[in-house]
Amino acid sequence: MSDAAPVTDATFEQEVIHSPIPVLVDFWAPWCGPCRMVAPVVDEVAKEFEGRVKVLKLNTDDNPKTANEYGIRSIPTLMIFKGGQKVDVVMGAVPKTTLVKALQQHLSA
Amino acid sequence: METFPFVMFTPMTTTTTPTTSLETMRKFAETYAQRTDTYFCVDLGVTATVIQGLAKHKDELGAPLCPCRHYEDKEAEAKQGFWNCPCVPMRERKECHCMLFLTPDHDFAGTEQTIDPEFLANYT
Repeated sequence: MSDAAPVTDATFEQEVIHSPIPVLVDFWAPWCGPCRMVAPVVDEVAKEFEGRVKVLKLNTDDNPKTANEYGIRSIPTLMIFKGGQKVDVVMGAVPKTTLVKALQQHLSA
Repeated sequence: METFPFVMFTPMTTTTTPTTSLETMRKFAETYAQRTDTYFCVDLGVTATVIQGLAKHKDELGAPLCPCRHYEDKEAEAKQGFWNCPCVPMRERKECHCMLFLTPDHDFAGTEQTIDPEFLANYT
């Protein structure tokens, strides 16, 4: 899985909703194959956007409250939050360029 | 009073061992890929992870519920059946977002329709 710091049901509000900078959350599950493919992409993006975007991962099996609240169905789902609001969703094992484009769009807006 | 030397035995469990389900799901995946002209992912670690997940769900829920989705109620979903492997989108349109069964034109499709049982059992 990605090296991103984990976020849980208990810490989501503080770490994501109240974050002063945009947050990318990688919703993953232990037996999800494509989650393993997207993990290195998430890690690369985390390095590239260090200081500008906070990157976190959430295990949907262990944190169903948050996963249910945001209507997570297909995994992996990558969600971008800005000012406490969900502003973008990227589903599946996407290439790095897709994720970078999505983030840039919300950083410049 | 006579004493009896006796040995304590650990009771045998009668539940299906994960290994059995893993073999069942491996055979299913291989047969289904061959039957539908689909291929495993170029990264067989993805394949192994998904087959392990299917086996786990088969043990826990009685059905190989897709491990690449989040459900509010796994038991209800397994009973309902839409996302039991092979799921409806796979059966109808060869769409497997879990990347277990990939059509040859998919970017991540490999050339394999079989997976080594030992690799599968030991992959973490």
